[in-house]
Amino acid sequence: MSDTTPRPFSEPSPLSRALSAVAVVLYAVIAILPLIWIGATAFKSQADAIAYPPKIFFSPTLEGFVDLFTVQTHQSHEFIAKMAPPTTWYEKIARDRDMVIAGPSRVVERFLNSLIIGFGSTILATFLGTLAAYGFSRFRVPLADDLLFFILSTRMMPPIAVAVPIYMMYRWLGLYDTRIGMILLYTAVNVSLAVWLLKGFIDEIPREYEEAALVDGYTRLQAFRKVVLPQAVTGIAATAIFCLIFSWNEYAFDLLLTSSNAQTMPPFIPFIIGEGGQNWPAVAAGTTLFLLPIVIFTIALRKHLLRGITFGAVRK
Amino acid sequence: MTVTNPARSLAEAAARRGSARFAARAGLSDRAVAWLFILPTMLLLLAINIFPLIWAIRLSFTSLMANLPTPARFVGLDNYVDILTDEDIWANFRVTAHFVFWTIALQILIGLGLALLINQKFRGHSFWTTIILLPMMLSPAVVGNFWTLLFQPQIGPFNYVIGFFTGVAPSSFSMIGSVVLAPWTIVLVNTWMWTPYVMLICLAGLRSIPDYIYEAAEVDRASPLRQFWSITLPMVLPFLMLAVLFQAIQSFVMFDMVNLLTSGGPGSTTETVSITLKRAAFEKWQTGYASALAVILFVTIFGAANVYVRALNWVKQQ
Amino acid sequence: MRDLSDIEHAGSARWFRRGPWENAAMAVIGFGILMMTQPFSLDLYTYSFATILSGTLGFVVVSHFPQ
Repeated sequence: MSDTTPRPFSEPSPLSRALSAVAVVLYAVIAILPLIWIGATAFKSQADAIAYPPKIFFSPTLEGFVDLFTVQTHQSHEFIAKMAPPTTWYEKIARDRDMVIAGPSRVVERFLNSLIIGFGSTILATFLGTLAAYGFSRFRVPLADDLLFFILSTRMMPPIAVAVPIYMMYRWLGLYDTRIGMILLYTAVNVSLAVWLLKGFIDEIPREYEEAALVDGYTRLQAFRKVVLPQAVTGIAATAIFCLIFSWNEYAFDLLLTSSNAQTMPPFIPFIIGEGGQNWPAVAAGTTLFLLPIVIFTIALRKHLLRGITFGAVRK
Repeated sequence: MTVTNPARSLAEAAARRGSARFAARAGLSDRAVAWLFILPTMLLLLAINIFPLIWAIRLSFTSLMANLPTPARFVGLDNYVDILTDEDIWANFRVTAHFVFWTIALQILIGLGLALLINQKFRGHSFWTTIILLPMMLSPAVVGNFWTLLFQPQIGPFNYVIGFFTGVAPSSFSMIGSVVLAPWTIVLVNTWMWTPYVMLICLAGLRSIPDYIYEAAEVDRASPLRQFWSITLPMVLPFLMLAVLFQAIQSFVMFDMVNLLTSGGPGSTTETVSITLKRAAFEKWQTGYASALAVILFVTIFGAANVYVRALNWVKQQ
Repeated sequence: MRDLSDIEHAGSARWFRRGPWENAAMAVIGFGILMMTQPFSLDLYTYSFATILSGTLGFVVVSHFPQ
């Protein structure tokens, strides 16, 4: 309706636009600096990482990544000189600092655990969530509001408080420090978000489609599978990514309910220690590899973020 | 799971057209489908949430220590009385309140401010919005851990930058080690992390205001400030409420970032209740006592969650 | 006769409407949380949990009143 006027009423002036742009960009740059610093530290040598004053320009090295993935022992210069020459680039990086690679570190296991537990719980939570959301969206469920509130309230519960009884229960059931135990736990936390989000998505699919299918002789389950699911696929994908991000980032449960077997990356990263204190380039390398997928997912998700963080209440 | 043949031909389906009830009866009844769909979720939540909760309530009346073989003794309300008359625990609640209050205050100020600026829709605003959103999506634990390097007094870039702009020697203050600064450090990092959350929801609120309201206001020659107070703010308020309530609940039980950044120290100056709870449960192994504290947190959060859901519905109706 | 019962019915319906009761329960919860985190009186802190608990239980009950 504002097309008819030369400049629409609510359109901001060019000056105020420019000033806002400057302020927002300034904030964005400051806010992103710590993340850039993490990425930069990953490519620093240990000396550069803890240099004073902090180094902005440095010659990049892969030391951090080599340290992250390997266990090394310190050897004398003479000992190394007598050894056969290094055959791989990462051995060479280690030898240059008088270190000998003794074997792979546990980081790969941790990464694998993060992946298995993350994807396992995501698939389960999205599957259960889709079914339950459809149930709540399309049928008259007795006490539906109470059930939905109960589902949401489980998400709000502080992990630390839940962990106390879960710890007792898992010890009793033999689920302590197992991947399956963590998958079940993360599924339970994620399913609440999945139900709320997907209910919003499924509510938006017109009922007429299914009704037409039912008239055409489909059963309920067929209508669900062949009519509703294809329509809800974007919503399901967005929900799955949200679940994956949560499982990927989760720390408290994993810290308290796993030890050496099912531990994922977040509780592990702070304990990447080199000789004489924290090996910051290795920590930064691990952190960078760990955060990178989430950065990509965030960009992929940006249209659905709002929905995700408000449990589907705000849709635009 | 289906009882009927899924590969029913279209011709056959057309023959049945008009008798949907019959078709539905050929499969599962709607009621059966509803329960079949909802039950697995409810059972999982019962097993992983309700059962442990009931267990925690039971444990909270005992003196159980999970690392000792001695059997639990029933102590009635002793654990609750201990917690609720303990000056130290009260102090931890106050630390938590300080953390929540200032985080929320800063988040509203910066978050709403940014949302208003971004709503000017300058070129490239969606790109910069995505950039600003990043901290919120990343693992608070992993990022919190890295902040300890940034805050190192001697080598940390944070101290260096502050020193550069204020002239204070970078090694003369420690954001994590100082009793005065540490409570503000966790506020700072939490604000950095969660301001985008408030911003994003406020932005949605701003975009929900139809243009014609402002047009009418301009016809009435309302000043920009008046427009802000009488149009923008009231329209954004439900959204702001929603964001603030959720963030208040989250900050109240924040564990990841605080545990890795300060783990409650120095002393207990940043010991929020979740840190207290973790220390009681997994360091002192006072399981009964910790369960009582957990139940107190459960009830508090459950109460707050009720208020939050009211706000959700309020926004939904808008 | 009919009119009278109608008025009576309307009266009880007004008593058991959700809105004001829910607001009251939410106020009790909020006040309890303030009591829990205020820095002035240990006694207020001691009774904060009882306040929050009663507010929460009250909310669960009154939220099932008719609209």
